[in-house]
Amino acid sequence: MTQNAKTLARAAGLHKSGTRNVGERVIGIVLFLAASVSIVTTAAVILALSAETISFFADPAVSIVEFLTAREWTPLFPESQRYFGISPLVIGTLMVTFVALIVGLPLGLGSAIYLSEFANPQTRRSVMSVLEVLAGIPTVVLGYFALFFVTPILRDIVPGLNLFNPLSAGLVMGFMILPTISSISVDSMQAVPRALREAAYGLGASKHEVVAKVVVPAALSGIVASFILAMSRAIGETMIVTLAAGQKPTFTFDLRETIATMTSFIVQAAKGDQPAGSLASQSLYAVGATLFLMTFALNLVSQQIVQRFGERYE
Amino acid sequence: MSLKGIGTPADQARLARRKRIGQIYRIVTGIPVVLAVLLIATLVFDVTTDTVSWHVVEPDNEGVNLSFQEGFRWFGTWEHVVTQELEARGEDPAATLGDAEERRKFGLRNRVELLWSLNGQPMRWVVSNSRDDRVASYGWFEGNRMHDELLAGLEGGEQLRLNPWLDAAFFTKNASRTPLMAGLINALVGTVWVILLVILISVPIGVGSAVYLEEYAPNNWMTRFIEVNIRNLAGVPSIVYGILGLYAFVRLMNIGPVVLSASMTLALLILPVVVIASREAIKAVPPSLRQASYGLGATRWQTTSRVVLPNAVSGIVTGVILAVARAIGETAPLLMVGAAAFIPRIPDGPFATYTVIPIQIYSWVGENDPEFANVASAGIVVLLVILVALYAVAFYLRRRFERSW
Amino acid sequence: MASQAVPKDHVTVRTDPIPAGEAVVTLENLSLWYGDFQALHDVSLTVPKNQVTALIGASGCGKSTLLRCVNRMNDLVPSVRVEGQLSYEGVNLYDGAVDPVEVRRRVGMVFQKPNPFPKSVYENVAFGPRLHGYAGDMDALVEKSLKGAALWDEVQDKLKQSGLGLSGGQQQRLCIARAMATDPDVILMDEPTSALDPIATDRIEELIHEIKKDYTVIIVTHNMQQAGRVSDRTAFMHLGVLIEEGPTEQIFTNPQHEMTERYISGRFG
Ligand SMILES: Nc1ncnc2c1ncn2[C@@H]1O[C@H](COP(=O)(O)OP(=O)(O)O)[C@@H](O)[C@H]1O
Ligand SMILES: [Mg+2]
Repeated sequence: MTQNAKTLARAAGLHKSGTRNVGERVIGIVLFLAASVSIVTTAAVILALSAETISFFADPAVSIVEFLTAREWTPLFPESQRYFGISPLVIGTLMVTFVALIVGLPLGLGSAIYLSEFANPQTRRSVMSVLEVLAGIPTVVLGYFALFFVTPILRDIVPGLNLFNPLSAGLVMGFMILPTISSISVDSMQAVPRALREAAYGLGASKHEVVAKVVVPAALSGIVASFILAMSRAIGETMIVTLAAGQKPTFTFDLRETIATMTSFIVQAAKGDQPAGSLASQSLYAVGATLFLMTFALNLVSQQIVQRFGERYE
Repeated sequence: MSLKGIGTPADQARLARRKRIGQIYRIVTGIPVVLAVLLIATLVFDVTTDTVSWHVVEPDNEGVNLSFQEGFRWFGTWEHVVTQELEARGEDPAATLGDAEERRKFGLRNRVELLWSLNGQPMRWVVSNSRDDRVASYGWFEGNRMHDELLAGLEGGEQLRLNPWLDAAFFTKNASRTPLMAGLINALVGTVWVILLVILISVPIGVGSAVYLEEYAPNNWMTRFIEVNIRNLAGVPSIVYGILGLYAFVRLMNIGPVVLSASMTLALLILPVVVIASREAIKAVPPSLRQASYGLGATRWQTTSRVVLPNAVSGIVTGVILAVARAIGETAPLLMVGAAAFIPRIPDGPFATYTVIPIQIYSWVGENDPEFANVASAGIVVLLVILVALYAVAFYLRRRFERSW
Repeated sequence: MASQAVPKDHVTVRTDPIPAGEAVVTLENLSLWYGDFQALHDVSLTVPKNQVTALIGASGCGKSTLLRCVNRMNDLVPSVRVEGQLSYEGVNLYDGAVDPVEVRRRVGMVFQKPNPFPKSVYENVAFGPRLHGYAGDMDALVEKSLKGAALWDEVQDKLKQSGLGLSGGQQQRLCIARAMATDPDVILMDEPTSALDPIATDRIEELIHEIKKDYTVIIVTHNMQQAGRVSDRTAFMHLGVLIEEGPTEQIFTNPQHEMTERYISGRFG
């Protein structure tokens, strides 16, 4: 703007108010800073995990080969009995996850189909609220329930079942992931356009045929994404396994044995108050990094599935 | 062609079969819904009944043993009950309660119990000696079943008591090594402090992020990166936030295992939830309102603060309540950032050592004495009641919010 | 222009009524309510075999509603209530013993917007027959249906590809082929060309012309030229009332009712 134009504009009361403008810019910057907290968080997570994990592997007592292949995990033991093979923790995690998925997938998908296709809107609404409450039950409570209610019943049924076992933890965890699967799957089934359903009805399909042959296939990407997300939840879940599955890293595939998972080890190591910088403390971060990578990968896959294979309807 | 329907008999048979399959679908998919509801009901039932148990006790004759025909009263401290009883007996309560040392000893030795049943008589208060010898304990169901048997089997001086673990005193006692003496006060106050700070930290940052992303952000890679990043953070396991808190807050910043570390950790944990919910709420504000505001010459911030946010507030509050409910129940990350199983003093600020309700529950579950399971269940009931109240408010707000557009 | 009220006791004007013997579908005093709103008022109409009957009228007058009665598609709307008779080959379709699933197999439907399933061309066509347990040679049936819909030449090399990959006009013909594959007697078309370009529209119109030797067609259109080109008989509706019906030529050249005349001369609607 030329000097002349400025004067004219000011005269007409149209000039950009200096203070107002600065105020707007400051607010914009403050809001941007708030938004960037999430980036700082991610960076800090990665930094915390990688810094300590690198120190962990830099220690001559640890090797990556041992970490990946050894079958014993005893970093909290005295030096002479220490082994750093993460496989017992990973297997323990996967066993609990496996049981949780066996329970959670059919229940989650089944309830989603019922809620989206068979229930009337009012039932759907109230049951979805109930499921939301189920998802909101603190996992320490679910752990209590697994240990004091489910395990005693299972011990009457399954011979040789330990007090702490992945079976009971996984069973309860199956219910924990049910709402995740259910709500995402319901959303993706509800997004299947009415035109597709009507096409099938118009050909003489009955309701269950529309569901099985049109709605579920069309919503498959969302359903699969919900499965993967649920799996990631199960892998990262801590309190149920800590309370009900045990804290004894064991290389076993037996669902009746006491085991430890990655998460329950992390809790155990943190509770013991290991001195910072010690191998025991660093091992916690190494396990945390492994856990983070696994869940992060699963979350990415789940998002990719939705983006790549999700049907887009107008 | 028959009047009943159309089609050949073969067609009709096929149709009948398809109908049956349809019924099976409905039932099979309905079962999980029933199971989920049943699980919640079972859990609540189990936890609630665990808060009551039967005891056969042999009173310790050296302790004070007062029993009050006071009837049904929930609230009040033991001092209050003891004062009333001593006055009724014509004794001077000040002798016991006036002297700090005497009073402390009395409090340590005894507890006020609302006994729903004593030797078969219902409803009365007692101040019982915590060192009363427990001869036997029975769960609620077991005790009910064996009630008459147990009464008949009482030997000299023994009493059969129905003990409610979740009584008024539960809220006024600190954690303890003795199940009967264990209470929730420190954890309750700890939770209040932690959550207060969580709200103070996460709401401005979360709502600020949402406003930025919805109203301010240019459509560029940086914005998309922030969005993707928030979505990914929502999927990070809570224990990883604990590791972050341990590394960054407790150790690197050297804040230590205090309320503030816990609050910052939980604030980061729920931040994605707050941001996502706030964005939804802001998105739901009709663009026409914004245009009207801009049309009147309002600046961006004026539009945001006077038009967008007021119209999005119930959605944002709903999201914040649900996020806070999640934070209240979180255990794992706080185990990492040093919540203690036992703290001697009530937390009194951001830099106090602390414990919270779920941590207290966790530590009780881990105790050897089986009576701690009863204490833990009392804690769980308190936690669940708080959460159900929050959910009720959130659902109510959401319903109203949905209707308003 | 304000829409004109219809007298309560309006009697449908009929020219050359169809004798009962030639009818495939007969509506007698059919009324329909969406909740409290009455969308059809005592509609009586006889649909002759192997002819094309067009339903015309202003938007919202109940054409789609009427069409959807014929294959009981309205059952999918929870609040719907129907009174009166709708018979197909002498059977009252709204009899409690009749399953809508069986009705829809015999009365196929083509929708306003092409809606192929996100499946292969082949699977789209085979969908209906599979439901109804078709025991014959599926490949042959798919080929026959695609030929019937004049689509075979264009897609015979693409049977395995997604139906969504076809052009709009091809998709609509795929939907027609899909409807034909269940071997219906009647095909209902609800503004089948309204989402298509003129060339694709031409092809569909030609197709309608060809298939009427095998099927009875009821078509909703608000394009009057189209009604004139493809249909043998035309029924004009207004606000849920059937005002007039008769041979298409008659309706277009010499309408008996004043409302019909005003509508076809483009003066209201
Ligand atoms: N599912 C429905 N619920 C309530 N009213 C409906 C529904 N479908 C149509 N209507 C109403 O019924 C009337 C007729 O609609 P429709 O048959 O679609 O008209 P047309 O096809 O002639 O444009 C309209 O007033 C419309 O608003
Ligand atoms: Mg229509």
